[in-house]
Amino acid sequence: MSITLDQVTKHYAGAPVVNDVSLDIGDGEFFVLLGPSGSGKSTLLRAIAGLTGVDHGRIALHGRDVTHVGARKRGVGLVFQNYALFRHMTVADNIEFALRVRHMRARRRRERRQELLRLVALEGMDDRLPAQLSGGQQQRVAVARALAHKPEVLLLDEPFGALDAKIREELRRTIRQVQRELGITTVLVTHDQEEAFAMADRIGIMNFGRLLEAGAPHDLYSRPATRFVATFLGAANLFLARRTADGIRVGDTIMAAPERSDGAPEHEVVAVVRPEEVEVAATREALGSRYLGQGVVEEVMFTGAFERLRVRLADGAAAPLLSSDEGSASTTLQVTRTRYAQRGFELSAGQQVAIGVRRLHLLPTPLSSFTACAPSAALAESLGRQPLLTELAARMKTRIGARIEPDLGVAQAPCQTLDTFVGATVLAAQPDCARRAEWLLRRGAHELLVLPEAAGAPQRVLIHWTDDAARSATLGVSASVLRHVPAEAVYVGIVPADSDASRPQGMRELLDARSEAQAAHGLEMRTELRFGDATRELTRRLADSPAQMLILGVTELDGFAARWHALLDAGRWPVLIVLRPAS
Amino acid sequence: MSFKQPSILPGFGLTFGFTTAFLSAIVLLPLAALVAAGTSMHWSEFLHVVASPRALGSYRLSFGASLLAASINVVFGFIIAWTLVRYEFPGRKIIDALIDMPFALPTAVSGIALTTVFAQNGWIGRYLEPLGVKVAYTWLGVTLALTLISMPFAVRAVQPALLEVQRELEDAAETLGAGRFYVFRRIILPTVLPALLTGFTLAFARAVGEYGSVIFIAGNIPMKTEITPLLIVIHLEEFDYHGAAALGLVMLAISFVVLLAINLLQAWGRRRHVRAAR
Repeated sequence: MSITLDQVTKHYAGAPVVNDVSLDIGDGEFFVLLGPSGSGKSTLLRAIAGLTGVDHGRIALHGRDVTHVGARKRGVGLVFQNYALFRHMTVADNIEFALRVRHMRARRRRERRQELLRLVALEGMDDRLPAQLSGGQQQRVAVARALAHKPEVLLLDEPFGALDAKIREELRRTIRQVQRELGITTVLVTHDQEEAFAMADRIGIMNFGRLLEAGAPHDLYSRPATRFVATFLGAANLFLARRTADGIRVGDTIMAAPERSDGAPEHEVVAVVRPEEVEVAATREALGSRYLGQGVVEEVMFTGAFERLRVRLADGAAAPLLSSDEGSASTTLQVTRTRYAQRGFELSAGQQVAIGVRRLHLLPTPLSSFTACAPSAALAESLGRQPLLTELAARMKTRIGARIEPDLGVAQAPCQTLDTFVGATVLAAQPDCARRAEWLLRRGAHELLVLPEAAGAPQRVLIHWTDDAARSATLGVSASVLRHVPAEAVYVGIVPADSDASRPQGMRELLDARSEAQAAHGLEMRTELRFGDATRELTRRLADSPAQMLILGVTELDGFAARWHALLDAGRWPVLIVLRPAS
Repeated sequence: MSFKQPSILPGFGLTFGFTTAFLSAIVLLPLAALVAAGTSMHWSEFLHVVASPRALGSYRLSFGASLLAASINVVFGFIIAWTLVRYEFPGRKIIDALIDMPFALPTAVSGIALTTVFAQNGWIGRYLEPLGVKVAYTWLGVTLALTLISMPFAVRAVQPALLEVQRELEDAAETLGAGRFYVFRRIILPTVLPALLTGFTLAFARAVGEYGSVIFIAGNIPMKTEITPLLIVIHLEEFDYHGAAALGLVMLAISFVVLLAINLLQAWGRRRHVRAAR
C-alpha cells in the first residue's frame, strides 16, 4: 500500500474536522477525495502531506510510519488550487527549487527540468516568470515543480478550481497522462463529481469529516450505501419504500420482485431511483417498465445531450417521495432523458404523463424515517420540532411523521394506532419515560429515540449493547446516525467489576466490535473498556462531558424500565434504543 | 514622452497644474532658496563653514546614527511586523496601535522620556551604568532616539508586504524539502525586500531630519554628540544665516545621494527581474 491511514482524526476547536478516517491507497492508484466544502477533505490531504498534525491515528507512506515526520521529509509533492508558484523566480528556478534544496549539480538539475517541462508540455518556457503565464500554464509548472524531487506520492488540492472549463479539461488529461506515465500514487481533492468521475480509479466520499464510502466510480454511482453518497454523486430520487413478502412496495405499487427473504418482518427502507432510470410515457400501457403513478411535467430543461425534467407526482404516488433538496418542501421527481427518448415522445410543461421506474436501488440503512410519538397531537407536533430531530431528518433527507397514542405508558393498554411501527420512533425524554419506552418497544417499535427537549447535535456518540445478539443491528444504526452528525464514535464495552477472568473477554469484544463496525458498516470508532454495572458506568460516562449521545442495543425487555430508568428519566442525553430480540 | 491622458476622467490639466503648483510652493521653492542662500557665499567661506572639524563631526554623527537607526529598524521592524501579521494573540490590536505612538508624540516628549529612562540614574540607565555602558549624552543615546522616532516607518512599510506572502508559498516550499531558514531566505525575504528597502529609506530620511528628541538625550557636546540640525540652529541663533544655509545644503546633498542610491538599487532589482523574464 502506498498510503495507509489508520483512524486519522483532527480537531479544530473541539469539533472533529477529520473524524476517524481509515483508508488504504494502492501503488500507482489515482484516488479522488470528494466532498462538499467543509467536509474535511483538504485537511486530510494536508495531514497526508505533513502540513497539519493529527490528533489521533497513524499515517504511513509506502509502509513507513510518517505520523510524526514533517512535510520536508515525507517525500510528497503537493499542488495547490492557487498554484503557489514563487513569483519572484523563473519557471526554471521554480521547478529546480526542490533540487537546489537537495544540492543537486547544475547540469543534472537542468536535465531534470527539461524532462519535467517536456512532461507537462511547457518546453522552452524556462525563463518566463509565473506572471507571464496563463493560469493553466502556471498550474502545469506547479505540477512539474511538485514532481521534481521524484516524490512517492502526488497530492493535488483542487488543482483546477481557478481555471475555466476548456483549460480544465485539457489539464485534467495532462495530469492523468503524467500520472500514468510515472505510475505515481496520486490523491486529488475536489468538490466536483464530474472531475472525480473523469479522473479517479477510486473515489472516497467525505462528509462531516468522515469517509463515508470509497470505491470504483461505477460501483459508488450504481450501488451507493448511504443517502449522502446517493444524492451527492449525481442526482437521485429518494423514496420511502416498504420491504414486504411480495417485494419492494413504493406507495401502492410493487416495484421490484421480492429479494432473498431474510425472515425480517415488513419494514421501511430507502430506495434510490436515478433520474435516468425513470421512464415517462403518454399512458401506462406505453411504459416499458414498472408503473409508479401519474404525474404532471413541471419543468423541461434542455442541457445539450440530455433533457432534464421535473415531474410532480399525482397524490397517491407522491407520498413516498422524499424531498431531494435539503430544507425545501417541494417534492418533484427528477428525470433525465436522452435525445433518442425525446424524439420518441416530445414533452412540454403542464403535460400529463405516466411514470415508470426501470431500476431502483435499496440503501442498506436501518434508519429510514422518524415518527414522533406522544399522547396528543399537540405534543407530537412539538416533539417533531425538536432541533436535533429536525436537523437529523433534514440531513438524512427524510421526514418526521406523527403517531398519537393517548394511552402511552398505560399498562396493558393496546396501541390506538393500528399501523405498524416504521422507521425510528421518537419519544420525549421526561420523568417516567423509561416505562413509556418499554411500552412502545413491547408493542413493536424497533428503534426508539428518547429525546430531551434541549438536546443539540452531539459531539460524541457512545455505543453500547447489553448482549452480542444486538451487536450487528446496533452498529448498523450507529453507522447510519454517525454519517449525518459530525461526532466521534466511541464503543463502550463494560464488564463486571468483580471478575478478573472476564477482562480478556472484554478486550476481545472490543476488537470484535471495532472490526465488525469497520468491515460490515464502514464505521470507524474508538473503543473503551469499563468495569462495573452497565447502567451506572454509562451514566457516569455520559455525565463526563457535554454534548454526548448514547446508542443502546438491547435484546430483551424484561426489567427494561427498572434497569434504565435512572439513565433515561434524567432527561439529559438523547438515547437511541435498538431492540433486536435474540432469536 | 508626451502628456497623455491615461484616464477617461477629465481634469488632468487641473490636477497636474495643482500638483506642480503645490510641489513648487511647498518643496521646490524653499529648497531653491536654500541652494541660493548657500551658494551666494564665497567658496572659501563656504568651505570654512561646512568643512570645519565641528561640522564634519556632526555629519558623521547625524548620518552614521541615522543609517544605524534605519538598519536596526529594518531588522526589528520586520520582526514586529511579522509578529503582528502572523500571530493571533490577546492585545494584538493594542500593540498594533502602539506602533504609531512615535508619530503622534511631540518629539521633544520622546527625547525627555528616553533621557529619564536611560540617564545614569534612570530606570534602565542605572543598571547599564555599572556595566560601563552609557547611553544618555553619548552617540548611543542619539541612535536610540533616532531608532525610536523612525521605527513606525519601517514597520508600516513591511506590514502590507508580509500580508502578501501567502502561507501556501511556505507550505509549498516545505513539501519540496526546504527548511525554515531556507524558506525565509529564498521565499519570504525576496518577496518583502522592496518593502524593506522602502522602510529603510523612510526611516533614514526621518532620522536625518530629526531634531527635537535628540537634543535632550545627546548632551550636545561639540565633535561628540552634536548633530548637524543642531549645528544649523546654533548658526541661526548667531544670526549666521548663510552658514546655516551652507550646512543645510550639505545635508540636502548627502541625503539626496543616499536616497538616490537606494532608489537605484531598487530599480536595479526590478530590472533584474524583468530581464530574467525575457
